[in-house]
Amino acid sequence: MQTERIKLTYDALVIGGGIAGGEAALNLANNGYKVLVVEKSLSVGGKMIMLSKVFPTLDCSACITTPKVSEISRHPNIKIFTESDIESIEKLGEHNFVAKVTRRPRYVVEEDCTACQLCEEACPVIVKDQFQYGLVGRKAAYIPFSICSPKVAAIDIDNCTLCGACEKVCPPGCIDFTMKAKQYEISVKTAIVATGFELFDPSTVKRYSYQEGKNVITSMQMERLLAPTRPFHTILRPSDGKVPDKIAYVLCAGSRDDSMGNPICSQICCMYSIKQAQLLMGALPMADITIYYIDIRAFGKGYDEFYEQAVSMGVRLVKGKIGKISEKENGNLVLRYEDVSTGKLKEAEHDFVVLSVGAKPNEEPQSLFKTQKLELDNLKYVKQSDPLLSPAKTTIEGVFVAGAATGPKDIPDSILSAGCASTEAISYLNS
Amino acid sequence: MKKKLGVYICACGGNISDYVDIEKVREAVKDEDCLVLAKTTMFACGDTNQKDMEQDIKENDLSGIVVASCSPKLHLTTFRGVSERAGLNKYNYVHANIREQGSWAHSDNKVGATEKAINLVKAAIAKARLAESLEPIIIESKRSVAVIGAGVAGMKAAISLARMKDEVYLIEREGKVGGHLSALEKISPEGTDGRELLARLEKEIAAEPNITLLTNAEVTGTSGNIGDFKVDVTIKGSQGEMVKQFVAGSILVATGFNSYTPAEGEFGYSNIKSVITLPEFKALISEGGKADADGTMRLYYNNREVQSIAYIYCVGSRQVKGENKYCSRYCCTAAIQSSLDVREKFPNVDNFHFTRGVRTYGKQELIYKESNDKGDVYIQFPDKKPPVVSEENGKVLVKAIDILSEKSESEVVADLLVLVTGMVPDSDTALGNLLKLPKGRDKFFNEIHPKLRPVETVIDGITIAGTCQGPKNVAESVNSALSAAAKSHSFVSLGELELEPIVAYVDNDTCNWCTACSDVCPFSAVSMIDHNGKAVAQINKSTCKGCGMCLPVCPSDSIELISFTNKEMESMIDVLAQ
Repeated sequence: MQTERIKLTYDALVIGGGIAGGEAALNLANNGYKVLVVEKSLSVGGKMIMLSKVFPTLDCSACITTPKVSEISRHPNIKIFTESDIESIEKLGEHNFVAKVTRRPRYVVEEDCTACQLCEEACPVIVKDQFQYGLVGRKAAYIPFSICSPKVAAIDIDNCTLCGACEKVCPPGCIDFTMKAKQYEISVKTAIVATGFELFDPSTVKRYSYQEGKNVITSMQMERLLAPTRPFHTILRPSDGKVPDKIAYVLCAGSRDDSMGNPICSQICCMYSIKQAQLLMGALPMADITIYYIDIRAFGKGYDEFYEQAVSMGVRLVKGKIGKISEKENGNLVLRYEDVSTGKLKEAEHDFVVLSVGAKPNEEPQSLFKTQKLELDNLKYVKQSDPLLSPAKTTIEGVFVAGAATGPKDIPDSILSAGCASTEAISYLNS
Repeated sequence: MKKKLGVYICACGGNISDYVDIEKVREAVKDEDCLVLAKTTMFACGDTNQKDMEQDIKENDLSGIVVASCSPKLHLTTFRGVSERAGLNKYNYVHANIREQGSWAHSDNKVGATEKAINLVKAAIAKARLAESLEPIIIESKRSVAVIGAGVAGMKAAISLARMKDEVYLIEREGKVGGHLSALEKISPEGTDGRELLARLEKEIAAEPNITLLTNAEVTGTSGNIGDFKVDVTIKGSQGEMVKQFVAGSILVATGFNSYTPAEGEFGYSNIKSVITLPEFKALISEGGKADADGTMRLYYNNREVQSIAYIYCVGSRQVKGENKYCSRYCCTAAIQSSLDVREKFPNVDNFHFTRGVRTYGKQELIYKESNDKGDVYIQFPDKKPPVVSEENGKVLVKAIDILSEKSESEVVADLLVLVTGMVPDSDTALGNLLKLPKGRDKFFNEIHPKLRPVETVIDGITIAGTCQGPKNVAESVNSALSAAAKSHSFVSLGELELEPIVAYVDNDTCNWCTACSDVCPFSAVSMIDHNGKAVAQINKSTCKGCGMCLPVCPSDSIELISFTNKEMESMIDVLAQ
């Protein structure tokens, strides 16, 4: 049965509620435009809200993301749809786009939920927590993470056994298993694509032993271990809960390597690894930290100074590409690498290995646009039609792009590109 | 009527609570006079807590709140927003910084950090008891922006502002616009010609009736404040100088960079003839070619053919001994692009790159790959052992230790040595001083916060764009320019602005106009007026920033700062001194 679509009108549609989408939405809203932000996951904040501290200022990421997120979610000119998918966007003419959007049911009435977490306690199902990148478990009835926005419970219907335990304990009775998806037809005058990037999945590269090696984690998992809202309140290696004392970073995991399908540099991994190394030296003063790198790309404002600071703190940097990681019986890992300074093949043992995974394009935005083609570049990032003079312009007039959707970007660059996209959008709305 | 206060003590997810026992702080302050509520919270700034605070304020009819968390620089507006939404005048909220001034500063002393936090919170409570409701100062904001500097950043900002219907004054000190753009024959990644880009921008500027372009023009005076800057521009013409005055609601600074000039003898510069800088090399590629008999293009420098070129990277950047500690960001890519250009135009040229690790970040990696594939040679020298350059039979000998080949010594005899020079701040510091713009350690203009407010400066209404904030390539400059345009536009688009009412005021009865206050005021906010036949000081509310500089110098103690009155400060000191 085809249900009637709910019709809504806004000035601008922002696709993606990460830091770039949020910044673009705020810029538009502060200039008086009505904005709809469509986010596919349960919370806005993107990847930044999951980070520990950010380079080179070592600001607590949660502390600078939450106020932005809070501003976005309260702004009278901004409406947010989380847990929502865009099915299609059609351009009918200049300043005339129609988007079909589905809001998936979260089986919890958003307005009534108080985030009391009683449903979480009652739920008997335990699955891996995707927001902690699989480090710990969560329930099938759950609050996504402690600083999520909106802070509302959701039912993971794929894993739910429909036992009804959550429904019984919910004080406002806001769990509703009969909830259906809602369909919308949204008319807007302009759109900003802020769909971000994907993280490289290291399980596709056998020699990294990401799946077999219990103590090989990704840098995003390390972010979670270091975050203020961290799962263990300290740094533990997964196999036996030991506090590690010899940690290795493997840079360019999934970057600068055609064999892994990504010839370019991911632009963020050097700096976040250096940052994590500094944080680890604070958290585990006795631990040795070694970074295996090809080149250190500390190019932004204050970045090289931050890198020098890490060196002076005692982080060991080894220029050498990692060939193979193999696990020993005690859970330690042996890294085989070519030491560039001697030209010799060497092996080193570490008790915890972090793969500094790179960025991959999110190809999704291309499929959203139906009547006109949103072109991608050779690397599958959103193509910039005028990359030098109008970096936010896409191949569709009136559709702009912000953040890492056009290529890997750190947070300051993402925010600047979001500012750029909103200026282009306002100019377009005024044309 | 007695105040009803609420106190919130934030754990900052461990940033505070790892060192400060916040429960102990709560216990210690909960019975303070006027307090009806004292709570701890995981993240005071979190959405849920903000909602709880709103509810608390309404339900308990609070007439003031104290938030003890991070620096007010981060969250002052957040908690003012909470107050306003709950119907509480936002100046009845007082902040205590127990993170930067507590947990972080005393992470080695948990007992002391907790004790200090208790005192800071008690002092804030004392201030909150006396805090008064205030109304913001509303001023009119002129819908015009002064853009200073007409390089690529300034030009793009001006065009965008004009298209957002703002009136724009684009001020360029040179006789023509474009900055460094016209010197860029080929811009990575697609080899775009900078001169073509410039022609496009010039055309777009000419087509915008909202842009007034002033060339040979320098800003020589500014006064006023956000919404109402009075700008004096001195224009040099054939008839001499003239001064033009106009009013702008916001100022966007895009004054660009200078290319680093090597010191005499730095890698042989100015001592050895065949040592040139990257910008000089770019000019040579476009001008120094001659075709030989069979039509092959050959490169000449000083009438000698150039067949081998050495490049030394990081000249003037990442200095081990010098002052420039920063990476200039654009030069690795720019140098490799030039080396590809020279190869393409002059097929018989060989390139030797002496680097400190190539930083072709992001998609720029592809040109590094291309350069490697085409056979360019890369040598990486250790940070602390730069190459040694000498002259040999009219050629340049470059010797370096190569960490890419077991630290062996590499020698290249080249016809030409290119010093890959970085970006340095504009040597003309007059404008920065005039506008009182702060600079970072790298001497570029400083933003308020690289992530939260990357294009704003501490001077309200003045934004920064492009390379005057730090090294950037063309696309990055444009991103920052349009970002700054968005911000400047938001200062002027609504026609009026709310200013902070925390300003100084003068007691006319006791003031004797000794000029001490006007002498120290960094914002020229003090003027003399007549009060019943007596000269007294008057403070311009919209220019005063509430910095308090005038207070301690007043011999008759005639100046008070709203929200930081003597009474309030003394009450805080009394608590801290107990």
